[in-house]
Amino acid sequence: MSKTLFEKIWDSHVVIDEGNGRSLLYVDRHLVHEVTSPQAFDGLRMSKRKVRRTDLTFATMDHNVPTSNRSLPIIDQTSATQVKALERNCKEFGIELFDINSPDQGIVHVIGPELGITLPGATIVCGDSHTSTHGAFGALAFGIGTSDVEHVLATQCIWMEKPKTFEIRVEGKRKNPHAITAKDIMLSIIKKLGTAGGTGTTFEYRGEAISELSMEQRMTICNMSIEGGARAGLIAPDEKTFDYLRGRRYVPDNYDKLVEYWRENLKTDNNARFDKIFTLHVDDISPQVSWGTNPAMTIDVTDKVPFPKEYAKGNPEEEKAAAKALQYMGLKPGTLITEIEVDRVFIGSCTNSRLEDLTEAAKVVKGQKVSSKVRAMIVPGSQHVKKQAEELGLDKIFKDAGFEWRESGCSMCLGMNPDILAAGERCASTSNRNFEGRQGSGGRTHLVSPVMAAAAAIKGHFVDVREMDLN
Amino acid sequence: MKGSVIKYERDNIDTDVILPGPYLKIHDYNELAKHAMEGIDKDFHKKVKPGDFIVAGRNFGCGSSREHAPIALAYSGIKAVVAISFARIFYRNAVDGAFLLPIEVDEDTYKDISEADQLEIETSKNEIRNLTKNKTYTMKPFPELIGKIIAAGGLFNYKP
Repeated sequence: MSKTLFEKIWDSHVVIDEGNGRSLLYVDRHLVHEVTSPQAFDGLRMSKRKVRRTDLTFATMDHNVPTSNRSLPIIDQTSATQVKALERNCKEFGIELFDINSPDQGIVHVIGPELGITLPGATIVCGDSHTSTHGAFGALAFGIGTSDVEHVLATQCIWMEKPKTFEIRVEGKRKNPHAITAKDIMLSIIKKLGTAGGTGTTFEYRGEAISELSMEQRMTICNMSIEGGARAGLIAPDEKTFDYLRGRRYVPDNYDKLVEYWRENLKTDNNARFDKIFTLHVDDISPQVSWGTNPAMTIDVTDKVPFPKEYAKGNPEEEKAAAKALQYMGLKPGTLITEIEVDRVFIGSCTNSRLEDLTEAAKVVKGQKVSSKVRAMIVPGSQHVKKQAEELGLDKIFKDAGFEWRESGCSMCLGMNPDILAAGERCASTSNRNFEGRQGSGGRTHLVSPVMAAAAAIKGHFVDVREMDLN
Repeated sequence: MKGSVIKYERDNIDTDVILPGPYLKIHDYNELAKHAMEGIDKDFHKKVKPGDFIVAGRNFGCGSSREHAPIALAYSGIKAVVAISFARIFYRNAVDGAFLLPIEVDEDTYKDISEADQLEIETSKNEIRNLTKNKTYTMKPFPELIGKIIAAGGLFNYKP
């Protein structure tokens, strides 16, 4: 019987099939961070259980850690406590930890692929909704809550109801691939599908516009699957995938044999059927800017802030939501997107903090100065990204322009560490969520690509990066 | 299960407003509860009573995987969230620790229920009775796995 890639990975991990899709699945890799794990370890202690597969479990600290000077202690006591708890738990249960001083530390979804922990065909879970990122490698990867973290620590298995399959076809060719990025493709998909369009499904991204993306760009796509409501999104592995992982520290010794198997098996069969299909043509898409308080409230940079009535297309609930969002965002309908001025710029997060994101942003920044009205920061996704960028001299380009060059972590994506927006501050952000208060209580987030964020830092307002020389 | 309704007439109530990021560092569940819904309703903690239900629109609990979100609601006294639909991680988190019941209803039911209505929910019959308006609605039955986890009293009691 013809199967989709998702069905193949699912079927090969079923430990118990209870019927009707209800299955106990084996977990190949479990990634752990400091925020969603403390209660899980407490639970293990109370029930006197061990971590079943310490060799398949990896931990790092990313959400809480300050991105300033690492030689200083963490000032926020509750953050320090949570970070220390992870250290203690990893030591007690025998889990490998990339701690705050490790040269491998970074955002969990950046370091997984970077270290070769992420593998094609694997099942990967983490107490973090952006675990979908790892799907870029053809892994079935999804976020879980703390109870499930405890369950996986104890059993290396997870109970799941089988999601439906959803093909996201991305066709055509971008006219200017430096200006129209993976972020713009993904925001365009979410804009059309809605934030709940993928609920109960696993996305599989297919089509020529996906094949041509680099691994880092594919990670940006899969990362935001959850913003479209799908817990997981995957892309079939190809030579780019195999080349990216080859030689990385944690890939198995028999890597080339595995590649042969993956090449043969990890793809959707020609006659396989998806439960749902959505198609996006990228030929004519523009750089995207979010204007509201969820990622579907997004518009072309050439457009104007919409009127709630026009946005809602006759749906009164949507109209109310749009009006509320505009009020929160402090925006007037009819304002040109390019007239919106920003106070802050954040280039970072598990969506857009990898080397290619920084090299692309640096092209915009080189020889320019950050607007005097803007505070701009670059937060590399990991210590390895930071080091590689410094070897290329990117840090100098950014610092000369007036950007802050910081240590790796989740930083201003989620308001859990010292990097936050003040109430009313407006930020061009390469992160993934523009929810109310996400980057700090009262903070206003506009989701954009790294090049769009860099350009906004220089000009002090949004600009259409297609007008810039990005080659 | 009987209680009074706190209604939010909006879709996409995300976990960042149910429990804002800065409070994810808090370990004590009763402390977490003091910040529940703070992102959109600063008075929630003062008005919520044990046994209350939240009623909301589509895609409740979208966003982050933080189990802190259903925990904060549960320790505030919320026994069930009645919504048109739920984001899947929140839905699962709500029942894994037996924190609260995520109950899906159709749009007409959502619209018919008002703030402060008294509801009685009987999941064994998939029935919601509005005691204030003297009406009965149907809830969507739980998916099989979710229903069994709820019946077991949480994930750790669930046996296949």
